[in-house]
Amino acid sequence: MIRLEHVSKTYKTLARPALDDVSVSVDKGEFVFLIGPSGSGKSTFLQLLLREEVPTRGRVIVADWNVAKLPRRRVPKLRQRVGCVFQDFRLLNNKTVFGNVAFALEVIGKPRHTIRKVVPEVLQLVGLDGKADRMPVELSGGEQQRVAIARAFVNRPLVLMCDEPTGNLDPDTSQDIMLLLERINRTGTTLVMATHDHSIVDSMRRRVVELSHGQVIRDDARGVYGVGR
Amino acid sequence: MRASFVSSEVVNGLRRNVSMTIAMILTTAVSLTLLGGGLIVVRKVDQAQESLRNAADVVVYMNENVSANDPECANDPCAGLRSELEQASGVQSVQYLNRQAIFDRATEEFSNQPQLQELVRPKALPAALWVELGDNVTPQAVKKQFEGRAGIGSINDQSQFVRNMVNKLNDVRDGTFLIAALQAFAALLLISNTIQLSAFNRRTETGIMRLVGASRWYTQLPFLLEAMVSGIIGSVAATGLLMVLKEAFLDGLMKPLTNANLLTAVSYADVAFVAPILVLVASAISGLTGYLTLRLYVRI
Ligand SMILES: Nc1ncnc2c1ncn2[C@@H]1O[C@H](COP(=O)(O)OP(=O)(O)O)[C@@H](O)[C@H]1O
Ligand SMILES: [Mg+2]
Repeated sequence: MIRLEHVSKTYKTLARPALDDVSVSVDKGEFVFLIGPSGSGKSTFLQLLLREEVPTRGRVIVADWNVAKLPRRRVPKLRQRVGCVFQDFRLLNNKTVFGNVAFALEVIGKPRHTIRKVVPEVLQLVGLDGKADRMPVELSGGEQQRVAIARAFVNRPLVLMCDEPTGNLDPDTSQDIMLLLERINRTGTTLVMATHDHSIVDSMRRRVVELSHGQVIRDDARGVYGVGR
Repeated sequence: MRASFVSSEVVNGLRRNVSMTIAMILTTAVSLTLLGGGLIVVRKVDQAQESLRNAADVVVYMNENVSANDPECANDPCAGLRSELEQASGVQSVQYLNRQAIFDRATEEFSNQPQLQELVRPKALPAALWVELGDNVTPQAVKKQFEGRAGIGSINDQSQFVRNMVNKLNDVRDGTFLIAALQAFAALLLISNTIQLSAFNRRTETGIMRLVGASRWYTQLPFLLEAMVSGIIGSVAATGLLMVLKEAFLDGLMKPLTNANLLTAVSYADVAFVAPILVLVASAISGLTGYLTLRLYVRI
């Protein structure tokens, strides 16, 4: 589903590369943690998958797309199949919960009747049924992140990538979000999650790819956060 | 594409920075008013040249001797010149106007300008042979053939006056076009600025749109329309301004020329003729500016 082949990324403003000869392959339906300290290149990794950035060297393959070579006008199609969730939720504060999720479908031209059908379904899936008419400011952090996940998932992406989705949440709420992400993963959606939250990684016992200074230093099928920690 | 989404985004965008929007519309309007004024001048000059071609008269003024002594053009040199003119190729008719007839004509022409009327004295005016030409001969040819002949004071080629006037009008046109171009440049910068501001204000929305895979077109259309709508409002305002200017200044300013049948007055038909051009120019320029701004400066 995802394949990085000898990928390097050097930002113009930075002398050393943010990613340095990274090769990783993720199968369809896998759940992968991307870990490492701040600045190790996790976000850069995810942005390459979304074509928010292009690699300086190497190939990035997502589903059937050669991401770096994708012509500009085809990039939206890629992004429609790759959902993403961030630490800061990125909700529109002037729209309701329903409106926020519907927005993702409206702007890709989905018909109204489809939107009216699938948005309530996905709100139920993320545990927000009954809160469709709330405004984001009326929600807790965990609930806001559920809205963001609903928005990323409503168009049934092949891959869902999460960049520190629990970074702003307390441990209990984080656990709830992880349960939700597991549920989404069980529907067959490939999940890549960047985090530096030890307890989450340790409790889930999933595949762990560890980055340090832009290099992959570990790739365990059933890992914990830190060996010997 | 969902029209309700796009239109509400456009209205919100215009409302969000009202002062910029107003500045943008006003600058565009002033620029387009000048452009419209210039276009009207072009149209008037075209019409003047047309009327010049249609009514190409040559006036052969007699010298003092003939003017004073031969009120009927019965003797040479006047009679000889008349018959020679009548037989010249391309001449349609020749009419003799003696001193009194010229005076009457002048009094009539200046009827609405008493000060000028005062200046006209029958004694000061020369008699004239009024020559009407057909299509196949130019006033200059006639002038050349008869210039310097005995009994002739001067030959007034009417077209000369009109040509001078046309030259003046062309200067006016060039001036308005130049100022219009400068104003248009200011309008371009304002449009570009407003769009950047607008895109900055809406970066959260557009950021989300980009991430969920909205097409570039869908993301940019509200901004483009925002620019084009203010451009079009500007062109409508410019049309209104042209009408006001016509009523307030132009009609009075052009009265001498229109009374002398040298130019037709600026009409609402002229304004109506340039209005669609202004709308087209405004939407094309604002749309193009918007498009280039989004391409160059705004990541969407
Ligand atoms: N847009 C950017 N421009 C320049 N440097 C960047 C940019 N994004 C990230 N970096 C740099 O690249 C390195 C990796 O950053 P990042 O991928 O965000 O790491 P992480 O998500 O693991 O904290 C850091 O040194 C960071 O400063
Ligand atoms: Mg990061």
